[in-house]
Amino acid sequence: MAGQSDPHISLFSAEEVEFMAEDELIEIVPNMRMDPLNFICGDFGPFLPQIASQVPLWLAVALKKRGKCAIRPPQWMSVENLTRVLEGERESQGAFQVLPFHYVEISRLLFDHAREDIPDMYMVRSLIEDIRDVRIHKVETSLEKFSGTSAVKIPNLSAMEVNIIRPFVGRALQAFYKHDNPEKIPDVDRASSAQTRAANNEPRRQLRR
Amino acid sequence: MHGRKAYQLVKEFAGSEKGHLKIFNDELLERVAEECNEHRNALQSLIRKMQEEGLEVQTARNADHYGALVHHLSLIRNKRCLMAYVYNRAEIIRDLAWKVGLLHELPCEIKEKFSDSEEQYFKDHSKSLKMYMSQLSLDVNVDMVPPKDPYIKVRVLEDLGSGIILSDKSANFASHSMHFLKRTDAEQYIARGLMEELIS
Amino acid sequence: MASGAGEWSAEQIDDYETLISTTDVELLKRAWRNEKASPEILPFEEALVKRAKEQIQLMEETVDDFAESGHDPLIASLYQMDLDRAQFLLRSYLRVRLQKIEKFMFHIWKMDTYRNRLSIEEEKFTERCIRDIGKYLEETVLSKLPDNYQSVLKQSIISEEDDMVPEPQLDTFVVAKCERATRPLYLDGSRQSASFDSRDDHFQMVPGDLCILRYRPFQEELMSGNISLV
Repeated sequence: MAGQSDPHISLFSAEEVEFMAEDELIEIVPNMRMDPLNFICGDFGPFLPQIASQVPLWLAVALKKRGKCAIRPPQWMSVENLTRVLEGERESQGAFQVLPFHYVEISRLLFDHAREDIPDMYMVRSLIEDIRDVRIHKVETSLEKFSGTSAVKIPNLSAMEVNIIRPFVGRALQAFYKHDNPEKIPDVDRASSAQTRAANNEPRRQLRR
Repeated sequence: MHGRKAYQLVKEFAGSEKGHLKIFNDELLERVAEECNEHRNALQSLIRKMQEEGLEVQTARNADHYGALVHHLSLIRNKRCLMAYVYNRAEIIRDLAWKVGLLHELPCEIKEKFSDSEEQYFKDHSKSLKMYMSQLSLDVNVDMVPPKDPYIKVRVLEDLGSGIILSDKSANFASHSMHFLKRTDAEQYIARGLMEELIS
Repeated sequence: MASGAGEWSAEQIDDYETLISTTDVELLKRAWRNEKASPEILPFEEALVKRAKEQIQLMEETVDDFAESGHDPLIASLYQMDLDRAQFLLRSYLRVRLQKIEKFMFHIWKMDTYRNRLSIEEEKFTERCIRDIGKYLEETVLSKLPDNYQSVLKQSIISEEDDMVPEPQLDTFVVAKCERATRPLYLDGSRQSASFDSRDDHFQMVPGDLCILRYRPFQEELMSGNISLV
């Protein structure tokens, strides 16, 4: 549409994936007092200095940018946990470790806007980059096992990984499906069957006139 | 050779930069349409010949039958190419209707690429979109990308002067000047390439 | 609640919990994701859109009041952001639908199933779209073709069906998240695998499962809300 004459209208842009990730809840520690916020997307607060509160990530980042809070990085973002996850990813060929669906976007937003709130920020960032790389490599090798099928479970894959594989896997599975079900192939074959029909039954009405 | 001109027409569209239009190729389109009518004439004269020879057109399988079939299929192929050419252009025109049709006249450099019918289609579709929005009392051609902070920093790329009054301020939008604007105010100018957003 | 829970089926409890814990923004986001990711146009979320519009209007008034009363600009800007997010979702949802209408207008118009999925405004829009492009195609190409080849829907009058009409490709693959357990689904005899490496004849999902699915066999699961698209 507008701005998207792209045929892949089903794809989510990077901005849209980030938008969805911004709704994930995260803990903040405010440094000011503020009444509850009665938003369309839900009620948050009241906010009191030094009292932790759960808010959507977009709100956490907005408050952080305005110097009103510290963000508590989620538990899965600790060096210990990420080290364990990375080992797990390396050990198991097929399976993916449990991470939030939006782990890539959440961590990027926090690195961009709340770096001083993340202990061992550089370590954490490099661990997440490593985990990402291992997982993407695994996604690629898992794809080799795909074959003609209508449904495949992809446990623990993240939003970003889904977005990466979607165009390719979608097309590949569709090709497998067409290959297995030649009678169901639309468009391209419709044209040729119409031609055969014309050739066998022969052009009718308009030839008679 | 059958279908060559039609193929050129489609190729011309496919060869243009994505989302951009070349000048409407009226001449080539007319020549393809002419070719269609030639096919039609050839097809009819073959049928007539078969009828004169007393052959049953529905069942006879002689050279003339297959000749007629080739003309029929060539005509259809030409039609599909013509339609592909104008239909794909129509998609870009609709896209433009979304981006600029609701606000302003088309810039001349785009307008000159259009045929008269295309210009009319652009106006018609813009109007259909406007009707939809007014029935709904909601503009759907803003907020094209997910929101960030309501205020964004922009740089003016082309001198807009001080005549523009936005929802909460007016300013002198001289070329290269920078402003904090409401995103909804700035979006239309960004879409038209008159401003750019500055990412912090 | 606890006393009544014994009499309720698990599904009812799921529904109830979904109902009380899900905001309209959450529902709108799901509708938006589904609409964006599905190849065909889905039923218009009339009640939800109405509620969302009302809430947005209320919030617009609140934000205007803030601006006039010289309220704390920090709080005003936070409410504005919440408003912007809801508006983006609503507009984008409506936009994706218009985009599908633009793309498949002829197909939508001739199929009652699809036509019934449109809002009143969308129906009028579709009608106008067809009229506008019909006129354009007629003037530019169709009127220049021989008699029996002038249909916008058919290649020529010997075509038995509409062979010039773009249709959504329902055998496309989508990525889905399971919201409520689905019944085991036998996928019309085609081979399938239950995960990257194991295989099974019946395919069943439990909440939280993430899958790549061929769209067509899972249409009903999507309509019933058992799965959502991501």
